[in-house]
Amino acid sequence: MSLVRDAWTIARKDLRSYFRDRTGMLLGFLLPIALVTAFGFIAQVLYGGQSAMGRTTLWFADEDQSSGSGAFVELLRDSSTIALRPRAGDEPVDAAEARLKVEDGDAHHALIIPAGFGAAIESGGLPELQMVRDPARSMEGQMISIGLMQAYMGATEGKSFPAMMGRQMEQLGMEAEQAQGVVAAAEMIRGLIEVFVDEEEAEEQAAPPATAAADIEQAFSMDTFMTSMVPVANEDIPPPARPRQMGYMQAQSVAGMVVMMLMFGLVACGSSLIVEREGGTLPRLLAAPISRDAILLGKLIFTVIIGYVQLIVLFSYGELLFGFGAFQDPVTLAILMISITAAVTGFGLLVATWARTQKQAEGVSTLIILVMSCLGGAWFPLQLFDVPQVVEVIMRCTLVHWAMSGLQNMFFHQQDWTHPNILTSLAVLWGFAVVAVLASRWLYYRRLAVSK
Amino acid sequence: MTSIPLLEVDELRFRYGDRAAVDGASFAVHEAEIFGFLGPNGAGKTTTISCVCGLLDGWQGAMRFGGAAFTPARVAADRARVGLVPQELAIYEELTGRENLEFFGSLGGLAGASLTAAVDRGLEITGLADRAGDRADTYSGGMKRRLNIAAGDLHQPELLILDEPTAGVDPQSRNHIFEALQALRADGRTLLYTTHYMEEAERLCDRIAILDQGRLVDLGSAEELAARAGTPGANLEEVFLGLTGHSLRDHA
Repeated sequence: MSLVRDAWTIARKDLRSYFRDRTGMLLGFLLPIALVTAFGFIAQVLYGGQSAMGRTTLWFADEDQSSGSGAFVELLRDSSTIALRPRAGDEPVDAAEARLKVEDGDAHHALIIPAGFGAAIESGGLPELQMVRDPARSMEGQMISIGLMQAYMGATEGKSFPAMMGRQMEQLGMEAEQAQGVVAAAEMIRGLIEVFVDEEEAEEQAAPPATAAADIEQAFSMDTFMTSMVPVANEDIPPPARPRQMGYMQAQSVAGMVVMMLMFGLVACGSSLIVEREGGTLPRLLAAPISRDAILLGKLIFTVIIGYVQLIVLFSYGELLFGFGAFQDPVTLAILMISITAAVTGFGLLVATWARTQKQAEGVSTLIILVMSCLGGAWFPLQLFDVPQVVEVIMRCTLVHWAMSGLQNMFFHQQDWTHPNILTSLAVLWGFAVVAVLASRWLYYRRLAVSK
Repeated sequence: MTSIPLLEVDELRFRYGDRAAVDGASFAVHEAEIFGFLGPNGAGKTTTISCVCGLLDGWQGAMRFGGAAFTPARVAADRARVGLVPQELAIYEELTGRENLEFFGSLGGLAGASLTAAVDRGLEITGLADRAGDRADTYSGGMKRRLNIAAGDLHQPELLILDEPTAGVDPQSRNHIFEALQALRADGRTLLYTTHYMEEAERLCDRIAILDQGRLVDLGSAEELAARAGTPGANLEEVFLGLTGHSLRDHA
């Protein structure tokens, strides 16, 4: 018991010193809060809602200024793959300005809607749009194509569908005469669809109000009709209690920043052992009639307490700001927090016992934390990328990966601590903690205290 | 002068790799005396003190405390018999003087009323009672030195080791420290005192050991050392230089 009592005496002294340094303490909490805020908002703005993927920016210049082009622009704004610029209400740009933005590298794609666009789509024609683009940004180009097709079909209400079919066939090498036959056939199909739509609308108006609302949800939309032509049976399985505003990327950003900053904070706390040595107080502690393990245990208790407080503060703040349901499952959150804190504390102590000076500790910990944060997915979710197998193995060797995996599975996938995914994360995190603490103890006796 | 040995060090040897830092030093510190420990840089003073305090293990030879085997690096109870005032200021600047003493007193096994009494006594002896509630980083260098001494003596160890406790302090603070140490001696306490100031050793110490290159060169009162060196009436600095030479010891 005296081991724990002596360790607590040391931990209490460290806590007192920590909270006595108000500026340092505020920085320790404010810096992570600032990063969580910034990255949380960035994720919310960039990725929004429950969307897992981001929107890509598309600049446009409307040379037509007709109601048809206006409707087309509005459909582009509503696209789930495009972030249209200038924003609604901002100063519009003309074709030359849009082109200049791409030339200057301020934009990667700029769409020019030519004069006569509205009139052409009204008459069922196929007006050509002009895309100014950076050819190296082909990935963004793919996303823009999807949004563009949806908006084009929506704006023409399907009237351009026959002409599009004819054009496609001609481009594939079909004779013009045969292509006209395809257009005629497509016109006939479109006519049948229109008859069907008119009948559906008539039935909808005649239906009682109670069912009308549900039917509106399934109202005919030409762009949806076109994009859903591929025979795919979708099955949506949303987790039962995911907050509506919780996006995958937002959960990723908040959890990532919290884990990364926790590591920075706890390495600094663990380094109090080096501060004791450099400050000359370690010999006095080692000469005291206490177990040498009490000193290490005291540092561990102090670091765990600070880590836990930091996590509670950061998640409470994140909850207040983004309302992402951090405390929806307090038991799982508490278990994950203590496991992450234990693993990160072990890492902090390992650095503190390995390093001979504070500078060494700061240097090596910054390097390891940044690499681990990047590879472990604290900055962006690496599962979005097709990484080589060796990189995947390295990723799984980082404690950040398992901390992020646990938090994402709880926040986004709404799994609790009994779920095998979270149990795996917990087991690995505790494995990290035990190995790191044992290695720290070995180094501590080897480097700091000559004898037990 | 007393003659009961409290700490006996017999043929102490300690090596840092190939270099012998202490090479067969033998001496005894008697109860209720101030034992001076002098030597040029690298003579082995700090290594010897570290062995006695339990900071170093793996030494050869024998140490006895109160007649019993003494292995402070391995036995916490042995460490409790010794108090250390390190040469460096071993205090926490962000804590108050009282908080510092309470912390070190707790580690020394004190609690409750006995801790409060020990802290009050330490503050009184070192003249810090008026500033006990102020953070140590607001103290002058001399006050920090006095707090450093009080922190080592809280649990009233049988042997208090002071490693250059007056390094870098002004004459006023040094006098105050001397008075505090003399008060401890008057209480019958045993002190082991290292310093580079010869006049301090002459003024305070009952007996003086001179160490050089890890070996004990001579041991006795200042007068005995002078007489044995063949320079009766000479001051301690002359005797010290006579015994250890004039060459620089920067290589150590």
